[in-house]
Amino acid sequence: MTQNSASKLLNGDTLHRAKQDKKAGGNGFVKNHCLFQQQQKRYRRPAEKSHHASLYKKPFVESFEETPLLVAVLTYMGYGILTIFGYLRDFLRDWKFEKCHLAREREEQKDFVPLYQDFENFYTRNLYMRIRDNWNRPIRSVPGAKMDLVERATPDYNWTFEHTGKVLKDVINMGSYNYLGFAENTGTCADAASECTVKYGMGVCSTRQELGNLDKHEELEKLTARFLGVESSMVFGMGFATNSMNIPALMGKGCLILSDELNHASLVLGARLSGATIRVYKHNNMQSLEKLLRDALIHGQPRTHRPWKKILILVEGIYSMEGSIVRLPEIIALKKKYKAYLYLDEAHSIGALGPRGRGVVDYFGLDPCDVDIMMGTFTKSFGAAGGYIGGKKELVDYLRLHSHSAVYATSMSPPITQQIITSMKCIMGEDGTTLGQERLRQLSENTTYFRKRLHEMGFIIYGNNDSPVVPLMLYMPAKIGAFGREMLKRNIGTVVVGFPATPIIESRARFCVSAAHTREMLDTALNAISEVGDLLQLKYSRKNRHGSEGTDCFSFLESHQD
Amino acid sequence: MALGDAWKQLSWFYYQYLLVTALYMLEPWERTIFNSLLVTVAAMAIYTGYVFMPQHIMAILHYFEVVQ
Repeated sequence: MTQNSASKLLNGDTLHRAKQDKKAGGNGFVKNHCLFQQQQKRYRRPAEKSHHASLYKKPFVESFEETPLLVAVLTYMGYGILTIFGYLRDFLRDWKFEKCHLAREREEQKDFVPLYQDFENFYTRNLYMRIRDNWNRPIRSVPGAKMDLVERATPDYNWTFEHTGKVLKDVINMGSYNYLGFAENTGTCADAASECTVKYGMGVCSTRQELGNLDKHEELEKLTARFLGVESSMVFGMGFATNSMNIPALMGKGCLILSDELNHASLVLGARLSGATIRVYKHNNMQSLEKLLRDALIHGQPRTHRPWKKILILVEGIYSMEGSIVRLPEIIALKKKYKAYLYLDEAHSIGALGPRGRGVVDYFGLDPCDVDIMMGTFTKSFGAAGGYIGGKKELVDYLRLHSHSAVYATSMSPPITQQIITSMKCIMGEDGTTLGQERLRQLSENTTYFRKRLHEMGFIIYGNNDSPVVPLMLYMPAKIGAFGREMLKRNIGTVVVGFPATPIIESRARFCVSAAHTREMLDTALNAISEVGDLLQLKYSRKNRHGSEGTDCFSFLESHQD
Repeated sequence: MALGDAWKQLSWFYYQYLLVTALYMLEPWERTIFNSLLVTVAAMAIYTGYVFMPQHIMAILHYFEVVQ
């Protein structure tokens, strides 16, 4: 390919280029037609705004501060000590010095092939079990901005739990994906859903294809298509099943899937089930994606070198463990240049981003027709359950016939459908009030305030400044358990995450800001977080701290970035 | 008063030690084992230092010809 033809897209527009480098590559093959050139200086992630500012209408500020070296070393040491004690406890359990609470085979089956994989559950038995009281906490009210928790006590270090009978009232909920505050049991949504239950009942008792297609589903599908700005859409009963059952319907053997490193388990499962070849690119890294696309087009399938039947790029709108937003303008430019398809999973971003709440496409001000398959869930911002897929009419009609979820899975329950219809109309402003607009504005104000305050306090926060998912880094394994318990003592419910959902040393606490949180609630939560942060020494950040020059022992050590 | 403050400060340092070494997650008898091992090793190191430090210092001074 010559320089001139490569610089024009098929519709005749020319592209700007970052550098003009004319070196020949290894096989005499000229390597300079990339849209996004490799940076000569090495840094792990571009922490400042993108160098292709012309594609972005407003600044794209993401930060993933490096782990301080001392903290990384101490975290590994902590895991080492826990591993040694884990071996000790396994030895005691094996030699019957200690009672074993796990599933074990019966004596008569000892000589058979083992049913339970002992070593693989080492982490679960010895690390997870010790701090298990931070997860699966029973909630006995609606999970809105405040909720009631059932108190539990454990007589044998988290192997079994008993309910003490006490209820912790009005715990501030910083963990539910309740971005717009629609998880409520009063108000128009709840009333409409209860009327719908009276009329239709609770269950549908059939699959979509057989006798489970209600007029409510059709109404919801038309409304969703209008909301997203696409031609047509289809709804499913479960968000996870939407991904895992529809990707196999679209992809098969001989197709290529390029998926982001940190994609959700449902996307990974769907990609694996489809039988297509999967290649993974570095998280949100456009140079890595472009390299993979170029390799795919140039070399084709692995042994036969035939061209790939289809290339699909799998991305998410907001990555819930990192809080980062996908670089959609760059991906759309890449997809148009290399003729690939784009599957956008807006599970966390629909309703939470964008001035009109239409998700990440609205946030960047792009055209919804550019994204081939828009998928999302109703679980997060709409306060219901289920998923949708939107796109061109031919695509959605094809999926109606060929998707496993449509053919075999029960369709969405009527009151849930009604809840989504009411909440979507509220967000769009079609119910006659400005409640939707207010909630969107409140969410974005809360997000900015919360992130700014946490950053000022000196915590390490990952992600984009506009994303309502806020991961706060904890790193050390004991601090995971300590953080969860100390926050609960101060009446705030948080979600803490460790391995295997995150890399082993990067454990975090994940806050989800909601439009239902008032400023006072956020202030209470922030004060408690600051107190717990001082108690547990969690303020690791070395950037932009208010006047704290050498007050902690981390400031005189280099981070291992350069 | 000062004793109360000192006790609180020590208590806080002990809590930080438990968090950093992940002893916070272990049961009391495991903590006892680890702490005893640590104290034993530290005591042995200090005792060795106490016994051998004069000889080592004399050897160093002799090497640098400060003393005969």
